[in-house]
Amino acid sequence: MITAQGLVKRYGAKTAVNNISFDIKPGLVTGFLGPNGAGKSTTMRMIVGLDRPTSGSVTVNGRAYADHAAPLREVGALLDAKAVHTGRSAYNHLLAMGATHGIGKARVNEVIGMTGLDSVAGKRVGGFSLGMGQRLGIAAALLGDPATLILDEPVNGLDPDGVLWVRNLVRSLAAEGRTIFLSSHLMSEMALTADHLIVLGRGSIIADAPIAEILAAASGASVTLRSPQAAELASALAKPGVAITATGIDSLTIAGLTAAEVGETAARAGLVLHELLPGSASLEQAYMQLTENDVEYHTLASADMEAAR
Amino acid sequence: MSATIIAPTRAASGSGLSLGRIIHSEWIKLRSLRSTIWSYAIVVLVSLGMSFVLASALSNQDFGPLVDSPEHTLIQASTFGTTFGVLVVAVLGVLVISGEYSTGMARSTFTAVPKRLPALAAKAIVLFVTTFVVGLIATLASAGVALLVLTSNGVEPAITGEFVSSVLLACLYLSLVSVFALAFGTILRSSAGGIAAALGVLLLLPTILMVFASVTQAQWAIDLIPFMLTTAGESMILPAEGGLEIWQSTLTVALWSLIPLAGGALLLKGRDA
Repeated sequence: MITAQGLVKRYGAKTAVNNISFDIKPGLVTGFLGPNGAGKSTTMRMIVGLDRPTSGSVTVNGRAYADHAAPLREVGALLDAKAVHTGRSAYNHLLAMGATHGIGKARVNEVIGMTGLDSVAGKRVGGFSLGMGQRLGIAAALLGDPATLILDEPVNGLDPDGVLWVRNLVRSLAAEGRTIFLSSHLMSEMALTADHLIVLGRGSIIADAPIAEILAAASGASVTLRSPQAAELASALAKPGVAITATGIDSLTIAGLTAAEVGETAARAGLVLHELLPGSASLEQAYMQLTENDVEYHTLASADMEAAR
Repeated sequence: MSATIIAPTRAASGSGLSLGRIIHSEWIKLRSLRSTIWSYAIVVLVSLGMSFVLASALSNQDFGPLVDSPEHTLIQASTFGTTFGVLVVAVLGVLVISGEYSTGMARSTFTAVPKRLPALAAKAIVLFVTTFVVGLIATLASAGVALLVLTSNGVEPAITGEFVSSVLLACLYLSLVSVFALAFGTILRSSAGGIAAALGVLLLLPTILMVFASVTQAQWAIDLIPFMLTTAGESMILPAEGGLEIWQSTLTVALWSLIPLAGGALLLKGRDA
């Protein structure tokens, strides 16, 4: 359980995190989303005491991280895959990290095996690929067999095999009752992994809800139907706030109505339906809608780029 | 939350942080970097070489009789390498912490030891002890070289109590300089900046002060010279006539390393890692 209350972090005049409060519950994978610069990494760094909050507090299992007698056994954190001395071997890095908590060679070899680093454990980290560095970071997070895991962009740079491995690992750790707090920019991956989402934009929480609720609330949910009387149905369904697109001779896509409403309207008008398919918005669509006003670093949309030419 | 979810309970007693464990961790870190091995190897080898050259030069009968007593000649030759050794351990001392900042390792270190000060203390202790032991190996081996050269040139020094204390004080000087440099690395968090500052204090500051003193003849500047890190350090080993007492020089060097270390600790505790 991670609990933040009124957490604020300012760097000079810039407010990175603006008065956020949340609970991250055990047994669930909580995804942490937000545009670049939204304050995700700063929040994660504050949880493990690397950054001092300007005000507010954050606790892990009821206590500030630094006040735990065995912090690495409480929380495993992957905050930055490059938090390793490049001149040291992966094995010695893990051995030194573990030594602070009396964690010995046996556990070090175990996490090396779990993360598939056996063949490179003796090599210096400076020569590691992004994916190897990421695996080493995850190995370090797992060292203390912690009840809480904080993973900032764990799949960044991993091959498809590694991405799948992280997803299964995270799901199984959550199933064991651990608290998992995970950030990623890969929406499709997040949709498969997370149970609950916290979305941050410009340092504030935009959404904090189960993933199903966030998807349901997003517009872009649509209903697809097939009917030999598509044209008649279209005029029966037409009203303000409803967008109807003909996607074929006998098929329509309707946004702004639920499948039930479409079916009832068809029945009342005595029109025949061959198919009626509710489709939910993708997490990517939901996320884009939530954060469209909170993106710190805008890229030119393609239309703007056309105009700029 | 469903009832089937059981939060794992762990952190059995005795499984947490302790200063002894953090020291062990810092020892693994120090010994597992090539820069450490190279630095200490250079300290030993250069000390051996400098001892050989000085012992040969001082005892060469072609240059006339010994300037100093055989015993003092032995001390001079055995500890001559310290003047160069302090520069090497200063670089190493800075790198022990600045290398963590430049690579990002500091974030791992302070995640494992979130109170931070025990990690700095452990670094200082490990660096101090290791440097002392390496210094002891270097000076004793250099004494062996010096003895061989001196006796072959017909000079036969006795091993005195002063020899023993000079060797130990030379090692103490070397160790205190490494901690002094660690403090500068902690404060500046940069390898280049830390090394420049540490070497500046060791080499440049006394030179500037001496030039200033000889040009202006200002008494306060002349009085300050013995309190420079290098002048105090060298008079720990062989006190100058009419200069500071050994304990005064030792205290001066100790303050040069402990005051910056306290400053570094204060900064480390307060700022974002």
